[in-house]
Amino acid sequence: MDTTAKKWNLPKLLVELLCILLALVFLVPFYFLLANSLKTYGAILSDSAALPAALQWSNYREAWNATGFPHAFVNSLVVTVVSNLLLAFLCSMCAYKMVRNNSLYNRILYVALVAAMVIPFQAIMIPLVQVVSGLGFMNSTAGLILAYLGFGAPMTVFLFHGFVKSVPIDLEEASKVDGTSPYGTFFRIVLPLMQPIIVTVIILNTLWIWNDYLMPSLILQDPALRTIPIAVYTFFGQYTKQWDLALPGLVLGITPVVIFFLAMQKYIIEGIAQGSVKG
Amino acid sequence: MVDRSKRSRLMQQFIFVGPTSLFFFVIVLIPFFLGLYYSFTSWNGISQHTSWAGLRNYLHIFTKDPSFLNSFWFTAKFTLFGLVLTNLLGFTLAYVLTRKLFTRNVLRTVFFVPHVIGGLLLGFIWQFIFVRGFASLGAATGWSFFNLPWLGTESTAFWAVVIVFVWQNAGYLMVIYISAINNVPKGLLEASKVDGAGRLQSLMNVTIPLVMPAVTVCLFLSISWSFKVFDLNLALTKGGPFKATESVALNIYNEAYTISRFGMGSAKAIIFFIIVAVISMLQVRATKKREVEL
Amino acid sequence: MMRRTSGWLLTAALLPALLLSGCGRSGGNEDGVTTVHIYQFKVEIAEALSAMKAEFEKEHPEIRLDIQTVGGGTDYGASLRAKFSSGDEPDIFTIGGNNERDMWLEYLEDLSGESWAGDVKPLAAEQMTVDGKLYGMPMNLEGYGFIYNKELFQQAGITEKPLTLSALREAAQKLQDAGITPFANGYQEWFVLGNHNVNVAFAQQPDPVAFIAGLTDGSKTFAADPVFDQWVDLLDLTVEYGNPNPLSTDYNTQVTMLASGEAAMMQQGNWTQGQLDGIDPDLNLGILPMPIDDTAEDNDKLYVGVPSNWVINKNSPVKEEAKVFLDWMVTSDTGKRYITKEFQFIPALDSIEGTEEDLGLLGAEVLAYTDKDQALSWNWSRLPNGMPNELSSSIQGYLGGKLTKEGMLKEFQKNWDNLSVQ
Repeated sequence: MDTTAKKWNLPKLLVELLCILLALVFLVPFYFLLANSLKTYGAILSDSAALPAALQWSNYREAWNATGFPHAFVNSLVVTVVSNLLLAFLCSMCAYKMVRNNSLYNRILYVALVAAMVIPFQAIMIPLVQVVSGLGFMNSTAGLILAYLGFGAPMTVFLFHGFVKSVPIDLEEASKVDGTSPYGTFFRIVLPLMQPIIVTVIILNTLWIWNDYLMPSLILQDPALRTIPIAVYTFFGQYTKQWDLALPGLVLGITPVVIFFLAMQKYIIEGIAQGSVKG
Repeated sequence: MVDRSKRSRLMQQFIFVGPTSLFFFVIVLIPFFLGLYYSFTSWNGISQHTSWAGLRNYLHIFTKDPSFLNSFWFTAKFTLFGLVLTNLLGFTLAYVLTRKLFTRNVLRTVFFVPHVIGGLLLGFIWQFIFVRGFASLGAATGWSFFNLPWLGTESTAFWAVVIVFVWQNAGYLMVIYISAINNVPKGLLEASKVDGAGRLQSLMNVTIPLVMPAVTVCLFLSISWSFKVFDLNLALTKGGPFKATESVALNIYNEAYTISRFGMGSAKAIIFFIIVAVISMLQVRATKKREVEL
Repeated sequence: MMRRTSGWLLTAALLPALLLSGCGRSGGNEDGVTTVHIYQFKVEIAEALSAMKAEFEKEHPEIRLDIQTVGGGTDYGASLRAKFSSGDEPDIFTIGGNNERDMWLEYLEDLSGESWAGDVKPLAAEQMTVDGKLYGMPMNLEGYGFIYNKELFQQAGITEKPLTLSALREAAQKLQDAGITPFANGYQEWFVLGNHNVNVAFAQQPDPVAFIAGLTDGSKTFAADPVFDQWVDLLDLTVEYGNPNPLSTDYNTQVTMLASGEAAMMQQGNWTQGQLDGIDPDLNLGILPMPIDDTAEDNDKLYVGVPSNWVINKNSPVKEEAKVFLDWMVTSDTGKRYITKEFQFIPALDSIEGTEEDLGLLGAEVLAYTDKDQALSWNWSRLPNGMPNELSSSIQGYLGGKLTKEGMLKEFQKNWDNLSVQ
């Protein structure tokens, strides 16, 4: 029965063509991004839709040097990886306990977290800076990571919370009967089951942290600590935007994330497949 | 014995929930309560001295500041359209791309990849496209669609922000929906096929009910994104023209940093928060009820 | 009951550990070298500034400069506030005049006694002066009007500079007849409308400062003011003879339209020189005044002001070293050379000379108008905070057909009443 699905038929071909067309529309901004990153400043402004007349690879070299790219890359990487691992690890534990232990504290915490998801960062950024500096964490990578742990917690816990609710409790009870400790149960039974949602959470948080500008701009002052978005933003002035450097800088900045996603894609599908065994 | 198990449960609660609670308290709650305090003062965000204002800021917002209400209206409208369109597109893409298409993997990547450009830069690129790119395309094709003053009138600017929002986020929701659709047991689908159900019927009767948890997650994600929308408006339209695209977050930001009434901005943030907290509390209660009924 | 309190207990238990593990910022003074922290927003000069820093440090080995430039253009004010909130205050920073001067006053060092204070041009000194004391060093002068393409004017047969509203209308008509777009209007940008354009109506008042005070105390209104009435005529003229879709035309597009010869005039200032040169370095440009009626002598003026000022934090432990740097920047030959040749700034001090070669055609023309005393003031820094954005938004409403002229002026008034409450 299922083999017919693999054969070509007209409706399916049409659907496929439609999707490809839509995909091309989706890629238009990337065309602008890439095409203009290789033009001279004048050409970007006067003829932005056309293909570059002569490829200005020097834009990339200049952007690379002006942003101190290798350095900024390492900073972004450290912040993103450490924040991500801690967020996934701590929040999965937290969400698990919140689902399984329906105490008043946990319920209040849940409502607070959900409500906090919509607090605009801009509304509390000054008090936040006061708190971070009160703790002595200004101008340090640790402070930035701390801020991401706090700000990432609501969304991360929320996603884990929703997932854990769908994990059947039977397995845990069986493991409890076998005499495994609650911690062992979590790490050996529950955590592996959570793999699909962990992948989702990591992607979401990676994209947020990697691209975030405002938080590092407030917490980090030392140029040696700056992340890629801060480096790229130095091309945007009061009036003038140095597009000929900002666009290649932007391309350099998102390339690692795109590669990350392409590499992860296989893993995502795998994670999903494992999840469906459970289903 | 009882005492020991109680202690060990406490210990577990401490270890599992403690660290996240701590970071959340320090980074979100404490600043939030500081903000609550500032909302009762006339602090300008700069001075070392500030005076107590009592409820004056709140009164001013409700009596003298129509822009705040206006920004609420925009945010609500934007959330509605953004939510529906993003989820519809995300789900449709997921449904189509779980079929065995030849270019399936490439397409998944393409639809997802807009999500990797963040914040202001995304707004700047789209501003570039709406202003310059569309003009070039309009000249080349002669289609009036491209010659509209996209960021120049209230209705088109609204749709411009919605379009970019959908473009940015539909692919992300798609990934979540794909994982949910793949989780639908094949057996159930085959059973429904044996019963003579068409593709549409299987979709309505089997797939959609089974991906409802993912729908809840996606709805919540898109609500929280659209409620907080800030960078997009700032870079694309600065809230213009004539305040047509000023979101609540942008209004609060302007109040605190452009107008330099930090106390007033904090009061706006508090009002916004209360409204959202009430909504989410009702939602939690509703889910609770449903779970009990089940 | 117990379970409920456990989370708080945990917080209480872990907080001290967190406090202890934080690391502080290193101090400013090491090995007899003092570090001066500078915080500024002008991305355009960031590179030249760091070259200048190297030269300064060579001449003053006992002082090290740490310059931080905040990009993005939009977030400087917010991040400067955050910096002060965090206690990590810079020693030198940049702020605007008038309202911003007053907001930051409690942090500002009095610079009246500095050697260069007497050289500051009166127009530039005024916006940083309180009770006869000077609180900042103006970074530069900027001026705006209608930048125009002289060749296109010639092509259209316009031989005389239009100095009245009627003459401007005639010129626009001639340009249009010659197939040239007369005005490139970038009315999507709030600062083009809310700072620069509407400033014409404030600056043309007999006494702008008194007029603004009158608006706040209620003795003046927008609707009853004759100058605002005339200003709308000029605004209408630019739209009538302007590019299509002015509300979706941004700054870059506007500048490009002029540089590519598509349009003959744009309301902009000398800061566009670099961008114009980037597209076509051979343009023959000048700046026209923005007339609102038909008396030529009142109208032959450009709008000149100070976009930003260097100020010294009076609580800074290294404020003497900070003063040494500011002094060096405007008195040493190296510093002066950087200001005019590298930053391409129109100097705000009489002791620094700017040539056309350094400043470009536009800068030289602004400087000439200033020195001939034909400059009108910038007033947006005197308006209630946030007012320029609101003005711009109402004007956009008017241009988009959403508001009548009267409706726009009423909207101005409503916003003024909201924002003048602090």
